[in-house]
Amino acid sequence: MKSVAAHFSQKKYLQILTKPLLSNGRFYFQAPDAVRWEYTSPLKSVLLLRQGNIKRYTMGTKGFVLEAGGTMEAMRFVLQEISRWSKGEFTQSEYFTATLKQGQEPQIILTPKEKELATIISRIVVTLAPEKRGFIKSLKIFETEHNYTLFEFTKVQTNVNISERLFLEAE
Amino acid sequence: MKALLSLGRGVILAVSILQVISCRSLPVINPAPPAAAINQQCGQPFFASPYRFVHKIEVALPGGKTATLLGITRVEPLARSVSSAITTVEGFLLFEARYDKALHVYRALPPFNTGNFAEQTMADIRLIFLSPSGPAADSGVLEDGAAICRYDGEHGKIVDVIVHRDDTWEIRTYSGRSLLRKISAWSVRDRLPGILELTGFEAVRYSLRFTLISAEPVEESLNIQ
Repeated sequence: MKSVAAHFSQKKYLQILTKPLLSNGRFYFQAPDAVRWEYTSPLKSVLLLRQGNIKRYTMGTKGFVLEAGGTMEAMRFVLQEISRWSKGEFTQSEYFTATLKQGQEPQIILTPKEKELATIISRIVVTLAPEKRGFIKSLKIFETEHNYTLFEFTKVQTNVNISERLFLEAE
Repeated sequence: MKALLSLGRGVILAVSILQVISCRSLPVINPAPPAAAINQQCGQPFFASPYRFVHKIEVALPGGKTATLLGITRVEPLARSVSSAITTVEGFLLFEARYDKALHVYRALPPFNTGNFAEQTMADIRLIFLSPSGPAADSGVLEDGAAICRYDGEHGKIVDVIVHRDDTWEIRTYSGRSLLRKISAWSVRDRLPGILELTGFEAVRYSLRFTLISAEPVEESLNIQ
C-alpha cells in the first residue's frame, strides 16, 4: 500500500477503572515511512513520524504546542510498526517477534524481543480484516493482562492522495 | 530504548527546580459564627460519593517546553481510598497505584519508580480529592471574607481548606508555619473545578496544572487482582 487514511477509536482499559476511557482520532500513512496519528477527542493532539523522527503537538489555549520528548518514545515504536504493517511487513521488525494465529479473523501476535521493551508492552495483537487482504481491523496493545488499549479502525481508504502538509504540520 | 525508559526524566527535572523554602505563614482566622455554616462551605471541594476524574496534566519543563500527560483518578470517599493512573496522551500506562489504608503500586515505570514519587503523588491526590479526616480544629473567615477551616493533618501538619466567595477554593498544608503545598481550584462549575494547580514549596518547588477532561460518578466497586 502506498497510503492509508482511516479513523480510529481508542478504548483504554485499566484495572482501576470499571469503564474504559474513550478517545477518537485519525490515522494517515504515506509510504515509505510517514505517519500522522491525530486525536480529535477528548484531548486534541498530533503525533508526526517521518524518517524515524517523532514530534508531538498538543492543543493549548493558543493552538498546537510542540511537546518535549520522552513520553512519546513508546508511541514511536508502535507507529514505526504500524507503518511496516501498512506495507504488509509483519516479520521484519527488529523489536517484535510475530506469530500468525489463523481463524475467521486472522491475528498476528507480536511479542517484544527485548526485556526492556517488554516492561512497557507485553504484547500486541493485530487483528486483520477478513474482507480485505492486509487491512488492520483492530490493534490491542497489552501492558499487562488487565491494562490494555484497543484501537479499532474504520473508514479505511487506501492508496488515496494525502496532502504532504499533514505529515509536516499539526494544524 | 534508553530514551523510552528515561521518559519523563524531564518531568522530574521540571519539578526539581531548586528554590528557597517558602516562608509563607499561616493566615489569621477571624471568628465567624455559626461555625456549622462555615464547615459546610469548607466541604464544597469534596464529593461524598465515588467519582472518576480524567485530567490533562501539564508540566512546564526547562527551556519553555511542556510535557502533557493524562491523569485518571478514582475517588471513593466513604472508603477513603483513591486510585490513580498516569498515562501518555496515547494511553501508555506510566504509573498506576491505589491508596486504601495502605499504598499499593501496580506499575511505576522510570522515573515514576524513583524516590518517594508514589507516596508523594498519592498523598497529593488524597489531599485534592478527600476531605481532611476529623473535625476542623478551627474555622472562620479570612480578611477577604473567604471561609476557612483548619484541620490537624498527618505527621503534625496543618491543613487549611479555603473557599472563596466566587466558589474557587484552595487547600494549603503547613509544617509548623511554613507552607508545604498549595492547591488552587478555579473555573468551578457545579462544584467541579475546570483547572487545578498544585504547587509544592518544600526543598524543591514544583507546579502541576490539571485541566478537567471529564468527571463522572461511579458506582461499581473495584476488584483489583
